[in-house]
Amino acid sequence: MHDKNFMRETLLQGAQAFQAGKLQRRSFLALCGMAGFASASVLAGRAEAAAGEIVMWNWGGQSEECHQSAIGAAFTKDTGVPLKFDTSGPLQGKIKEMVDSGNVTADVCDADLFDAVALGKTGHLEALDYSVIDKTKTIDGYALEFGISIILYGYAFMYDTQAYPDGPPTSWADFFDTAKFPGTRSLYKWANGSLEAALMADGVAADQLYPLDIDRALKRITAIKADTIYWGSGSEAHDMIVNGEVSMGMVWQNRGRSIETETNGRYKLVMNQALAMPGAYIVPKGNPGGADVMKFIATAQSVPAQLDLFACLGMTPTNPEAIAQMAEADQPYSITSAANMPNIALNDPTWWGENTDAAVNAFLAAIS
Amino acid sequence: MRLPVNSGWLLVLPFLLLVGGLFLGPILNVLWISVTDPTPGVQNYAQLGSSDTLRRILWTTFRVCVICTAFSVILGYSIAYAMVHATGPAQSRMLGLLLVSFWISVLVRTFSWLMLLGRNGVVNSTLDALGIISAPIPFMRNELGVLIGMVHYMVPYAVLPIFAAMQSIDGRVVQASRSLGATGAQTFWRVYLPLTKPGVVAASLVVFIINLGFYVIPAVLGGGKVLMVAEYISVQVLITLQWGTAAMLAAILLFGVLALMFVMSRFMKLSTVFGGART
Amino acid sequence: MTNTSGSLHLKSLSKRYGAFTAVDTIDLHIQKGEFLTLLGPSGSGKTTLLMMMAGFQDITSGDILLDGASIAHTPAEKRNFGMVFQGYALFPHMTVQDNIAYPLSVRHRPKAEIDARVAEMLDLVRLTGFAKRMPKELSGGQQQRVALARALCFAPPVLLLDEPLGALDKKLRIEVQAQLKDIHRTVGTTFIYVTHDQEEALSMSDRIVIMQNGRIEQVGTPSDLYQHPKTTFAASFLGKSNFLHRDGAVFALRPEKIDLDPEGKGKGANKVTGTVQSVTYFGAVLKYQVEVPGLDLIEVDVDAWRGGQALPAGARVDLTWVDSAAVRLSDQSL
Ligand SMILES: Nc1ncnc2c1ncn2[C@@H]1O[C@H](COP(=O)(O)OP(=O)(O)OP(=O)(O)O)[C@@H](O)[C@H]1O
Ligand SMILES: [Mg+2]
Repeated sequence: MHDKNFMRETLLQGAQAFQAGKLQRRSFLALCGMAGFASASVLAGRAEAAAGEIVMWNWGGQSEECHQSAIGAAFTKDTGVPLKFDTSGPLQGKIKEMVDSGNVTADVCDADLFDAVALGKTGHLEALDYSVIDKTKTIDGYALEFGISIILYGYAFMYDTQAYPDGPPTSWADFFDTAKFPGTRSLYKWANGSLEAALMADGVAADQLYPLDIDRALKRITAIKADTIYWGSGSEAHDMIVNGEVSMGMVWQNRGRSIETETNGRYKLVMNQALAMPGAYIVPKGNPGGADVMKFIATAQSVPAQLDLFACLGMTPTNPEAIAQMAEADQPYSITSAANMPNIALNDPTWWGENTDAAVNAFLAAIS
Repeated sequence: MRLPVNSGWLLVLPFLLLVGGLFLGPILNVLWISVTDPTPGVQNYAQLGSSDTLRRILWTTFRVCVICTAFSVILGYSIAYAMVHATGPAQSRMLGLLLVSFWISVLVRTFSWLMLLGRNGVVNSTLDALGIISAPIPFMRNELGVLIGMVHYMVPYAVLPIFAAMQSIDGRVVQASRSLGATGAQTFWRVYLPLTKPGVVAASLVVFIINLGFYVIPAVLGGGKVLMVAEYISVQVLITLQWGTAAMLAAILLFGVLALMFVMSRFMKLSTVFGGART
Repeated sequence: MTNTSGSLHLKSLSKRYGAFTAVDTIDLHIQKGEFLTLLGPSGSGKTTLLMMMAGFQDITSGDILLDGASIAHTPAEKRNFGMVFQGYALFPHMTVQDNIAYPLSVRHRPKAEIDARVAEMLDLVRLTGFAKRMPKELSGGQQQRVALARALCFAPPVLLLDEPLGALDKKLRIEVQAQLKDIHRTVGTTFIYVTHDQEEALSMSDRIVIMQNGRIEQVGTPSDLYQHPKTTFAASFLGKSNFLHRDGAVFALRPEKIDLDPEGKGKGANKVTGTVQSVTYFGAVLKYQVEVPGLDLIEVDVDAWRGGQALPAGARVDLTWVDSAAVRLSDQSL
């Protein structure tokens, strides 16, 4: 689903911000200029696929560069097959439309693992070839028939240290407690992550979340609706915090680092009870590049590729070997690092793959 | 020998077919999907009766569009009036500013509004610094924010048709009214406004129809709580894959707009029968 | 309805646009019930003067008095002057009935009174039966009469008309002129009428104001102006004139006041001899162009029925006139 938006945002701006946590706060005009530029490049970015090459369908921007240098270079060196990009953003609806139309022009989509479940079920995806791809080079349970997680991102929240000087919030329970922690909140508006956060606030254990009790979650969410605003893109979540619109805001965890830097530490990231989200590679049914795409996915699992992607985009690696090799300073911001792992929840792509429509629509009905 | 139809039509026939195909094709496709996805039948339309959410979204959309149209047209009318009565150079400067505003992207506008009227925006911090308010005024991230953003976006669209209608008014008609003893207000309500009515109707239609498709402004400035049809359709197409629901809503919008145009065209025809704008 | 008021006094009235003076220190008394015509070439300031009276143009200097009271700063809608615009300026979205009723309805008069008055007006302009038409369903002459009815409906003391017949063809114009004159007699309102058609001015007016370059050239009754023009401009703008330069003065001599006879047959105090250059037949008159040595071409009108056979070009003729026919003008001879 949209962590499509997540992808796009991360790739266009967040990644840069991450990489350069040093970046000065830009004026909004500069931001907008960038957004305009980025959308132009997104529009420009469709490659025509042909046999003998692999077309990656992603969100463009920084991600195109990062994928080319982290994976594409090594892949082309090994196989002689070039990597190209379609940067128009592989939303579930678009993949379905492409496959249904019979004119498939992409080989691999930079998507979510629940997309693999949803679109695999309806026959829109190729099954992965696990004789080429290594199931052990990802988190347990994130190697599925129609998709495999290559990187992770996640939902966490940040709070205003000045709003809560004596006793900062430390959990989702605090986040949803507006009596004890007054102030405006922000949540992701398309259900994902927000539902899990509400359930954890309501006392559900991190490993008992699924199947989600949607009604129970929405009760928590509507209880603080008057004090909540909802974001649909990473940059919106980012702006809501740095502009001081919220005293606690849900964010995509990998943006936390740059927001902390940008606000000179006024806002702080809470990784406790963060929800890890598996970003995945999936292959549209009838992809033009054929079996080569499996080799490409295998290349993406390699330790150097994984570390390069983290350096370039700030996405946590899924290959345990790569996680182990990460620098000490990066560990707190890597959602599955040894220190974070015991305190986080893991997204269940199967539940979301089967229940996205019900969950999203119920969520929208509750907040609108 | 005479052709059964004017031969001119034969020349443009291929283009008509092309345009018809490109235009009608997708519309028919949407209608088709709305009665076949996920299963054949009218169950998508039946949702309108059963789903409070859909009705609420449609009602929100309608309400926001109507209010926005009203404000845009009133503001547009005032601006057009000022432009028509400005001197040559001032008028072209105003027109220039108006056209430039068409080029400002929606993203820039929404961010500008947040900077200006947001919780810690220029206005709230100024009022706060002056001690006029104790808590920030919630201009943004609610329906008011959506309306402000949409009206700002739509005003130029409202100005142009009204401006054109005003320009076509013979100034002597207004003088005649005054010479006959009508006050300024009487002249406005009884002569000026009726003569600009075609422009007002055109502006209202344009603004209302464009409003129906608004997506980014409500999504951002509404803080997620003002859900309008366009955004909902896009979610259904791209995320929840309920294409039948999306197509049904698109069809409802389409029929709504057609019905509106039909009503308006009757109304406009009557007005032309009764004299219209041209003298 | 008749009016007890309607006399206007323009005092040193001027209108300047920057350095340009459109209306230049006009002094004029207009009697109640008078039909006064402003006549002048294009750009002479007629409309500007009329608009100042109507209240649509600011006054640069001077004053306008209505029945002795200044109205210079009264807004147009408070002056209660009727106005008929060039192009009529009917309200296109209202029926004939509503157009005519407008001045009464904006004054919130009772409906019965309005209906009666509109009927009376329609009768006055002979448009009974047209009440439900829209303006664009009327001919030019009919629209013109609606505009007139609308402007007269509230019995204004003064009616201002700016080239009201300009858009009509010649035949219709003459017809409407007669009706207009009739209506003027009936209602007794002061009419101030702008035209640049000299025949219209002559046939309709009680007095004519000849304007040039924003100034009054001469004011007088039609026959006064015709018989006794004071300037070359007045003599040439209203009717035709031959100009004779004698003893350092200029004399105007109307073409019809000259007798034309074959050479040697002319008798009169003033006689010159010349050669016919051309002769043109106009039905009622024959117009001769006669070349006289020492003078310009002299134009002579001869009643066609009286003149018998036209003299051909090249014929030698005597031109004679009585003393009183030549009017001495104030302009200096060149
Ligand atoms: N707004 C203005 N600014 C400058 N000059 C003006 C303006 N309005 C009129 N004039 C000038 O004033 C003079 C008188 O104009 P006016 O319209 O009164 O002429 P008119 O006698 O009515 O001519 P016509 O017979 O062509 O209607 C003209 O030379 C005109 O150019
Ligand atoms: Mg004029």
